[in-house]
Amino acid sequence: MIRLKDISKSFDGNEVIHDLSLEVPQGKTVVLIGPSGCGKSTLLRLMVGLLWPDRGNISLFRENLTKNNVEILRQQVGFVLQDGGLFPHMTALQNIRLMADFLNHDHDATNNRITELHELTHIPKELLKRYPSELSGGQVQRIALMRALMLDPQILFLDEPLGALDPLNRVSLQDEMKTIFNQLGKTVVLVTHDMGEAASLADLIVIMKDGYLLQYDTLSTLSTDPADPFVTEFINAQRKPWQQLEDQIK
Amino acid sequence: MKNLNLYLILILSFPFTPPAQADPTSEIRIGSKKFTESVILGEAITQHLQVNGFKASHMDQLGGTRLLWKALVQDELDIYPDYTGTILYEILQDEEISSNADIQVALAQHGVSITDPLGFNNTYALGVTPQTAEQFSLKAISDLRQHPELRFGFTNEFMDREDGWPSLRDHYQLPQTAVRGLDHDLAYKGLQAGSIDLIDLYSTDAEIAYYQLSILQDDESYFPDYRAVILYRTDLLDRVPSIQTYLNQLAGVISETEMIDMNSQVKLEGRSEAEVAQSFLSLKFNTLSEIVVSSRWDRIISTTSEHLFLVCLSLGAAILVAIPLGIWGARNATLGQVILSIVGIIQTIPSLALLVFMIPLLGIGGPPALVALFLYSLLPIVRNTLSGLTGISIDVQESARALGLPAPARLKMIELPLAARSILAGIKTSAVINVGTATLGALIGAGGYGQPILTGIRLDDTSLILEGAIPAAILALLVQWSFDLAERTFLSPGLQMKQESTS
Ligand SMILES: Nc1ncnc2c1ncn2[C@@H]1O[C@H](COP(=O)(O)OP(=O)(O)O)[C@@H](O)[C@H]1O
Ligand SMILES: [Mg+2]
Repeated sequence: MIRLKDISKSFDGNEVIHDLSLEVPQGKTVVLIGPSGCGKSTLLRLMVGLLWPDRGNISLFRENLTKNNVEILRQQVGFVLQDGGLFPHMTALQNIRLMADFLNHDHDATNNRITELHELTHIPKELLKRYPSELSGGQVQRIALMRALMLDPQILFLDEPLGALDPLNRVSLQDEMKTIFNQLGKTVVLVTHDMGEAASLADLIVIMKDGYLLQYDTLSTLSTDPADPFVTEFINAQRKPWQQLEDQIK
Repeated sequence: MKNLNLYLILILSFPFTPPAQADPTSEIRIGSKKFTESVILGEAITQHLQVNGFKASHMDQLGGTRLLWKALVQDELDIYPDYTGTILYEILQDEEISSNADIQVALAQHGVSITDPLGFNNTYALGVTPQTAEQFSLKAISDLRQHPELRFGFTNEFMDREDGWPSLRDHYQLPQTAVRGLDHDLAYKGLQAGSIDLIDLYSTDAEIAYYQLSILQDDESYFPDYRAVILYRTDLLDRVPSIQTYLNQLAGVISETEMIDMNSQVKLEGRSEAEVAQSFLSLKFNTLSEIVVSSRWDRIISTTSEHLFLVCLSLGAAILVAIPLGIWGARNATLGQVILSIVGIIQTIPSLALLVFMIPLLGIGGPPALVALFLYSLLPIVRNTLSGLTGISIDVQESARALGLPAPARLKMIELPLAARSILAGIKTSAVINVGTATLGALIGAGGYGQPILTGIRLDDTSLILEGAIPAAILALLVQWSFDLAERTFLSPGLQMKQESTS
């Protein structure tokens, strides 16, 4: 579904992604995780053509991503940012409808789709009249998700979609997303630096460090068969609080 | 002391004269400089021609010597009064001239002729208050050498010109260093207020008598003759050959006392230049010329329409050019800097210099004023468009791209609406500045609120200054209000709430 082959990317002569290859199978949720600054967002942006690699190539739906087809391909994927990236001058509804209206989709079909998304994301209808500045962080992320899903894309990219939320909202939206991803069977690439989130959502996990892909595997393989001491270190560092909690309960 | 009603009798000055092409049937265009004597002379020439059956119009109180001379040479004017000294030392300063005959030859090379002197000599002189004269026992210019502490306030023109302060100082070896340039009419006030001790003045100034100033004797004969003459385009004689006779009729008829008297009738008794010129002509030639009398309201209506015309057209054009420039500059940081520097530099060009520079291209009247206002209006709009666009958060910009919106649609649906508040604020700033700057239009004959302000300053008539200043201030307020209203009406509520929550 998504293929990255020998990708390198530098900013101002500073290479931040080194010779990285990755394949994301259809219908799976792949989580990119690693310390801050390791290149997760850069990698995600490369996959949507918001950035271009210095070397290597990227294909979506078996099609090579080029400047000519990037706009068409983008219309077939969804993208959600940490702060939602909603357009502040439009209401939630206008944000959601924007692309459907821009592409002159049938009005009734668009309305039906919005009703569907409602049920999926549990957003009360009245909220759609509001502007982003009148919505809470969790609401903004749900609207951003609705906007990303509007055209029923096969692939969904999310860059720390829960990063700006308080823990309570975080957990509930995380559960919701899990349900949605399972229900829709989309191919999902999600960036996070939270191992708990990765554990809960991912079919496959990519552990990154300093622009290198250290290991790409299921969570259980990562813990039983780590490719690098850093993988264990990273998993354990993040699991500590949970383990402590579990120990206490026991 | 002043009878304000008499001001109501003022010749209404011509709105927008397009750059006139040579046309034998067209009006004879007379210009005058922005001081009273020049306006009276321009008025006298105009009325004398009119009463003798010519079609003549007077563009009064234009910018200054450079502007008038340029306008004459570029065939924007046919006639204007000037002084032999000015011609010699300012207009023809680069040419070697020793006699009056040489002046005529030199002027002829520019296609310009002059009449014989009109009579009086309006030379430069230095004046002090009687108290200063007594305190420092000043009788002649050479006496100034003993008092280096004296503060001089000279007209900007006198400060700069070749026959002005620098060579006067060299000629008399004057030691003074506290020398300021200021407006002629303000100089008298400064002298009265004691903020300066000595000013330059013209020997026919009405104020000499009024303030009882002491004129310092030019004991080492420095100042040249400044005899009034009429300059006219030689090719005017091809169009209307008979005109030479009538212009020459004015030669030798105005004595120094008569000129001082006419100046003080206007400046001190509050009569209009048109009236004063009319009385003088009827005394000398037994003619009665017609003058147009307009009420204060008529004038306000016409200056308002001229002013609105200048502001709306120049601002509209500036918006159409500046927003695309800002969009272009926002694409690339280096390009943006270049564009901003260029429109920034334009902003620093002094307005009179800009107007004079444009005479060869656009003549005088509305067009050069419009172009100058247009140029001055660019910066705030370009700057705000650019900063409004570059200030959009990366998240929002990336979201718009990631949705698959093509660049033109992003600009129209996302970027411009988000920059709208900033762009609107830039247009508002430009509009308010423009309303004020448009008063400069009067310097080049484009009319507007500057007309009464200029005349009011010249005649020290507060009510006339207010006649321009008050409507200009009201217009500026209206502009401000209408933009605030537009902001509330057209700006997305989503953006307005954002401002409320951050403020
Ligand atoms: N636009 C950019 N210009 C220069 N350097 C950048 C840019 N974007 C990211 N970087 C650098 O690339 C590296 C990876 O950044 P990023 O992909 O955002 O990391 P992550 O999302 O994993 O925290 C960092 O060192 C960051 O400073
Ligand atoms: Mg990141």
